[in-house]
Amino acid sequence: MSILNYNGGCVVAMAGKECVAIAADRRLGVQLQTVSCDATRVFQMNDRLFLGLTGLMTDVDSLHNLFDFKVNLYTMREGRQIKPKTFSNLVASTLYEKRFGPYFSEPVIAGLNADNTPYLCAMDLLGAPAKAEDFVVSGTCAESLFGTCETFFRPDMDAEELFETISQALLSALDRDSISGWGAIVHVITPDGVTTRTLKARMD
Amino acid sequence: ERDEEEGACGEWRESLEMSRRYDSRTTIFSPEGRLYQVEYAMEAIGQAGSCVGVFCEEGVVLAAEKKVTSKLLEPSKTSEKVYVIDKHIVCAVAGITADANILINQARLSAQRYRLAYQEPVPVEYLLQLICDTKQGYTQFGGLRPFGVSFLFAGWDRHYGFQLYQSDPSGNYGGWKATAIGANSNAAQSILKSDYKDGLLLSDALQLATKVLSKTMDSTTLAVDKLDLTTLIKSKSDPSMIVAHSLNEEELEAVLQETGLAKPKPADEAS
Repeated sequence: MSILNYNGGCVVAMAGKECVAIAADRRLGVQLQTVSCDATRVFQMNDRLFLGLTGLMTDVDSLHNLFDFKVNLYTMREGRQIKPKTFSNLVASTLYEKRFGPYFSEPVIAGLNADNTPYLCAMDLLGAPAKAEDFVVSGTCAESLFGTCETFFRPDMDAEELFETISQALLSALDRDSISGWGAIVHVITPDGVTTRTLKARMD
Repeated sequence: ERDEEEGACGEWRESLEMSRRYDSRTTIFSPEGRLYQVEYAMEAIGQAGSCVGVFCEEGVVLAAEKKVTSKLLEPSKTSEKVYVIDKHIVCAVAGITADANILINQARLSAQRYRLAYQEPVPVEYLLQLICDTKQGYTQFGGLRPFGVSFLFAGWDRHYGFQLYQSDPSGNYGGWKATAIGANSNAAQSILKSDYKDGLLLSDALQLATKVLSKTMDSTTLAVDKLDLTTLIKSKSDPSMIVAHSLNEEELEAVLQETGLAKPKPADEAS
């Protein structure tokens, strides 16, 4: 049993034309027992930047609080919003600082650049980043998510299509993972704002 | 050379000879029980651009005079007078800007550390105490000079609602309904004393702060580029959120128009 599978959960992010979507399940478990169906593992860092964290829930919470701290200071000192790629580097450095006693969490970063192009990045628990133009995945059903995303994804989707695609990719993967699921939430980020929807999913 | 050294402080004339022996170290009292370095720090602040703070039910208004030392200076992207400490606290600065930057940074760090530990915004007075404790430390040990900064802190917390505080280089602070720091702060304070009333609306507070500031400023007419007006209020769209808003040029013009302090248009009567 890996520590990264203790609480269960997954996150996926996908890029469209001048939009990104990030989605996650809502299960919090203690090994096989489900404890909560409204766990939050996707967090809004600013108007156009989201962070999704999988893995051990206590580290998900701690990292989220820590990044709020760092981003707030950045915003006040710089007098401007942090860019997605800068935030990615901040996340990577923070994780690598704990190289020999890491946070057991694998983040996903999704945002819109200043020119409205999408930005996606996934990382392992030590902070090794992997940027992508199409989709990034993380969590206990990451392998299944790779499969569903690869199948359903097509480039340059608009916000509505993107929502449908990412939702189907997530739901299909959730159904094959016993420790992910129990609800799902999807955020779609466009230059005009953020739309958040919860999905009707199998509650098992 | 005595006259040059004293400047405008006539009352120090008698103790000038004595004070010379007690003013070079922060860590000793004078025979009269004064800390001269702290008082000299307050002198430095008396030369700085004025700041006025006015409290009302709807929120707090901070008005600051931006002293432009040279036309060649690039205008700063962030204000050199009013700073955001956290989402629910702003402060205005009078004094040595470099000193202020150190304390502002410390305040920001303290506010974020509190948020990280307790997952809620730092209470205003608690944060102020941390800063003032730092300032006090420089008056008692280390042999370092005190910070030449006074602050006006405006904030909101769930314990006491909106609050306005003033702090000085000694590390003392007090809560105020209306107060002023910087150049001509005494004059500003006496005007506030007579003109401030309980139950002001935000618009009234804006007008009062602007009017008082204009009376203490060197220039005869208040211009938009010399004024920094910031309000701290509950967000209209979401009353659970506090918003610090620095008025833009248009809004500043509107306030100046209302107070009758706008620069007179050519071939018009003066305000």
